[in-house]
Amino acid sequence: MNRLHLVFARPWIWSFIAAVIVWFATVLVTGGAGALGLSHAALTFAAFSVIVGLGQMFVITLGPGNIDLSVPATMTLAGTVALKLMDVQDGMIIAGLVIAILLGIAIGIGNYALIKLLRIPPIIATLSMSFIVQSTAIWANRGLRIKPPDMLASFTTSSFLGIPNIAIVAVLLSLAAWVLLERTIYGRWISAIGQSIFAARMTGIPVDGTRLVTYTLCAVLAAVCGYLLASFSGGAALNMGAEYLLMSIAVVVIGGTAVAGGDSNIPGIWGASLFMFLVVSMLNTYGFGAGVRLILTGLIILAVILAAGGRKVVR
Amino acid sequence: MTIGKMLLASAAIACVFGPAAALADTSGKKIALSNNYAGNSWRQAMLTSWDKITKEAVAKGVVAAADPFTTAENQATEQAAQIQNMIVQGYDAIVVNAASPTALNGAIKEACDAGITVVSFDGIVTEPCAWRIAVDFKGMGESQIEYLAKKMPQGGNLLEIRGLAGVSVDDNIHAGIVAGVEKNPQFKIVGSVNGDWAQDVAQRAVAGILPSLPDVAAVVTQGGDGYGAAQAFAAAKRPTPTIIMGNREDELVWWKQQKDASNYETMSVSIAPGVSTLAFWVAQQILDGKEVKKDLTVPFLRIDQDNLEANLKTTQKGGVANVEYSLEDAQKVIASAD
Repeated sequence: MNRLHLVFARPWIWSFIAAVIVWFATVLVTGGAGALGLSHAALTFAAFSVIVGLGQMFVITLGPGNIDLSVPATMTLAGTVALKLMDVQDGMIIAGLVIAILLGIAIGIGNYALIKLLRIPPIIATLSMSFIVQSTAIWANRGLRIKPPDMLASFTTSSFLGIPNIAIVAVLLSLAAWVLLERTIYGRWISAIGQSIFAARMTGIPVDGTRLVTYTLCAVLAAVCGYLLASFSGGAALNMGAEYLLMSIAVVVIGGTAVAGGDSNIPGIWGASLFMFLVVSMLNTYGFGAGVRLILTGLIILAVILAAGGRKVVR
Repeated sequence: MTIGKMLLASAAIACVFGPAAALADTSGKKIALSNNYAGNSWRQAMLTSWDKITKEAVAKGVVAAADPFTTAENQATEQAAQIQNMIVQGYDAIVVNAASPTALNGAIKEACDAGITVVSFDGIVTEPCAWRIAVDFKGMGESQIEYLAKKMPQGGNLLEIRGLAGVSVDDNIHAGIVAGVEKNPQFKIVGSVNGDWAQDVAQRAVAGILPSLPDVAAVVTQGGDGYGAAQAFAAAKRPTPTIIMGNREDELVWWKQQKDASNYETMSVSIAPGVSTLAFWVAQQILDGKEVKKDLTVPFLRIDQDNLEANLKTTQKGGVANVEYSLEDAQKVIASAD
């Protein structure tokens, strides 16, 4: 009983419970026939949300007001430029990844430069940055879809031992993020900054350096996600990142990371990402119209957050 | 110089300037394009077509200027402000692809009151003083079912991929599909998802609903979502149904591959982004003093099994199948409305 209590005290458990319930509700309709297919699809598409969610989580951990709205534009630009550079040649796959990461670094540094040098709040700074980045993406190739190199396309769309390669990549990135958060001094620093930026400064934590690294990390993860998503879906499109703005924030919040900062949660992002994909599949399967579907999605998300947030009311 | 030579020379001059003289009425006129969104390949092609045709027209002196403006945020308020700026700048005509059918009516009325000709297309406005070049989206949805009824008279299960929820275009195409299914009850819509006219969103939505669906005979779409649907069916290792395409190059390339490999048959229908150039010529004709009905209809651009290769050849890599309209095309559209 006591042990069960401990499990339920973890905020991330709720997103997993929700995901499992929704999974059952969907499979029930099909009489168990689509169980494997649904799980496979859920893992594939959740992986993209996880990758952008991880970056957004680090930023949100920095405390109130910290958020990165340039995620969709970064994904679009990285996907567009990388695919254009690779130009369907297998030999250029690494070069494409490198250019995506470099773009991420540049955008991250740009974001923090706006925040720090011009003293603009992050929400405005990253929004303005996203206009610049999106326009650059439009200018870069006028919205034309270039196909990914064959090797990369087949890597992103195939599976290893039944698990989608994309999900494996996302797990590896999550593990790296977990080590970074729980086992390095950097992880301690961002939690400290998120709990009180003033106290963090007093204790001699390099606040600006840490925040710069965090915004850069978020942009790099978004860029990598854009690179993978463009390769997965057969080409970059100018609106390909649009879904991932709210998604990146939603998975962090549903996953049990404190919106007020200072307390992050990596397993929760997985639960929330699976849940977000499954809930849309469930409502589609039940045949609800778009209006009802959106309302129900909102209500279900609220319910999960309330269930997970019970702990925080006490604090 | 002999009389004969002089006659010849004046005849030559008359030949050169003759055709231009008929259009001279608009040579001093300025036309502006007010566009609400540029963030996808269709809109990019639309702007490119506008650029190409209007530059030629300006160079030939048909009009004095034809400047395109696009708002940053796809917001009706922002576009209303943009139109007010155009009034102040003294344009003679405004061609508009509107963010909302009603929210711009105030600004459009102001423009009309200032004596400006307003022509809306694609995203049309309800303000009565403006011209509307509308797309028969309902007919477009219905034509998909009609095609399927001919191809598979025995009928079957349909998966419907809809566009962006809450946009009138989505409702209209959907209404057409529903009307088509009512007329052909051998078809049954077994699933419906929103693909937001984007490849990756459609792929994600279809992948999510596929495990719960029985055999699907055909997928009806709204354009920009066919390739994503094909990818999702392939990933789920299900047989490829007849997927109606939406004229995007990647869709046409995929279709061509399937056609060569397994004699796959489908059709593709959408609106050519070059419709912006049709709106330009209509505005020019109105400025020229021609009688033009307020409501005009744009023809679809439909691609079938036999003209697939020809269309693929003229479609830019990664773009959308397109046609640019000429003055004669515009005159035909105007005449057919009478």
